[in-house]
Amino acid sequence: MNAKLAMVIDSAKCIDCKACVAACKQANGVSRGVWRNWIKEAVPPVENGKLGRGHFQPGACMHCDEPSCVIACPTGATFKDKADGSVVIDPKLCIGCGNCIPSCPYGARFRDPVRRIADKCTYCPERRAAGLPPACVDTCPTKARVFGDISDPNSDAAKLLAANQGKVVRVIAKQNDTKPNMYYIASTAPDGWAVKPVNPLSFDALSQVVAPLVKYAVGLSGLGVLAMLGRQLLVGQKPDVGTPHEGPEKDKKEDGHDAR
Amino acid sequence: MTPANNEIKRHDPSDIRIHWFNAACWLVLLVSGLGLIKNDKLNPLGAWLPDVLRALFGGGSAGGAVLLVLHEVVGVVWLVGIVIYMGVNAGGTRFFLREIFSLRPGDFTWMVRKMLRMTVGGGGELPPQGYYNMGQKAFAQASVLGGIAIGATGMILLASDKILPASVVWLVGWAVTLHYLAVGLVFAGLLVHIYMAAISPEEKPGFRSMFTGTVPRDYARHHHGLWVDALDKGEPGAK
Ligand code: HEM
Repeated sequence: MNAKLAMVIDSAKCIDCKACVAACKQANGVSRGVWRNWIKEAVPPVENGKLGRGHFQPGACMHCDEPSCVIACPTGATFKDKADGSVVIDPKLCIGCGNCIPSCPYGARFRDPVRRIADKCTYCPERRAAGLPPACVDTCPTKARVFGDISDPNSDAAKLLAANQGKVVRVIAKQNDTKPNMYYIASTAPDGWAVKPVNPLSFDALSQVVAPLVKYAVGLSGLGVLAMLGRQLLVGQKPDVGTPHEGPEKDKKEDGHDAR
Repeated sequence: MTPANNEIKRHDPSDIRIHWFNAACWLVLLVSGLGLIKNDKLNPLGAWLPDVLRALFGGGSAGGAVLLVLHEVVGVVWLVGIVIYMGVNAGGTRFFLREIFSLRPGDFTWMVRKMLRMTVGGGGELPPQGYYNMGQKAFAQASVLGGIAIGATGMILLASDKILPASVVWLVGWAVTLHYLAVGLVFAGLLVHIYMAAISPEEKPGFRSMFTGTVPRDYARHHHGLWVDALDKGEPGAK
């Protein structure tokens, strides 16, 4: 069976130390000025005139099962890896068109200012290959982040999910459940920050107007060629059929010049 | 080489070279380009096509990356080749552009009647045509204007992940859209072009001329009467 890598997070344990953000940047050599993961903060409630406890929410690319970013990528440089379920960017195939950035409702993607292509959380493939968990998970001092293959019942992530069955929540995009693989235990805050996935106008024009238009144009032209070919084969065409006839005078003049 | 008495020069050797160079580049760019589109909303013929093409070059997105490099290299070679041709045969380029963009009375009638004649039959007498007939002019206009659009948007796409900042990704997005549109429309015309040039029996001498450079005077008079008239009046022909 194919693996389904996921992150199960107990955001109540998060102390906003941002070690995960720093560890990710260091482990992956993420460019200056951009980050692959984050900690969001819920506005602390005011209780009896006093500021209550805030709530911190670690996050990153949720490696969705129905990723809207994949739909927006023209080249397939962003795709869902069938073997482990992660959403991958092939940097060699990405042309930096930027379509996937607004199409991610979670703001997980950015255009790397140095490499000029899309970038986001990769679940640290080099570390995984060496048998290590992703850097953010490894470094978390309170173990708020748990990572693993949730299709394998023996993984820590699957066990944690099973132990909290019915009490798991997800942050979901407006009007579009992309089936994120980031699970928060019991409850989390802030919520409602995910936006609606939007494709750039140029992509909608391409997929809804230009692509069908080209199909019709090529289809029509192909039909025309078939009609001509059919006529050629059925009716036959002597090389002279279809030549212009410019009236008797002209023909005479032409004959005079012809070196037949 | 001076053409035999009953042969008229139609294409300069540089014209012949650029035509076949362009056609070869188009073939490679079209196939590799089809392998670069992999998106369920865009695939012109379904996902199997990019999958098969990528499988030939290592499979998956890595195979796509090889196709991308091939597409970029051949795309630049194509543009450079065309610019070199325009320098080598500037006169021929000017002649070509003047011919294909000059429409004469009767061209529209010719186009309608020719289309009827070639498909359902009938259509009536065809008005005389010049160096290129209206069908050739229409396709040549499409390939010149389409070629400019394809070349310009291709350069933007090439520059996208090399020099362009994030603030102009909107331009890159529109370049993708326009690139697809221009290639699609020129390709629609190309189907007819290849049929007329290589398969239709009545144009056989025209096909041969794209190798030899000359056409029989007979053929030229019947198909391009106004061109022969002009030659007979002493006007310069193709350069
Ligand atoms: C197998 C492919 C092709 C064949 C057999 C072919 C054949 C020909 C022939 C025989 C001519 C000369 C017509 C004449 O002067 O009487 C011609 C002209 C021309 N070809 Fe092609 N061609 C091919 C591909 C292409 C491609 C890919 C393009 C551009 C996208 C192209 C663009 C043109 C243009 C612009 C002309 C001059 C105008 C015209 O005759 O329509 N050709 N071609």
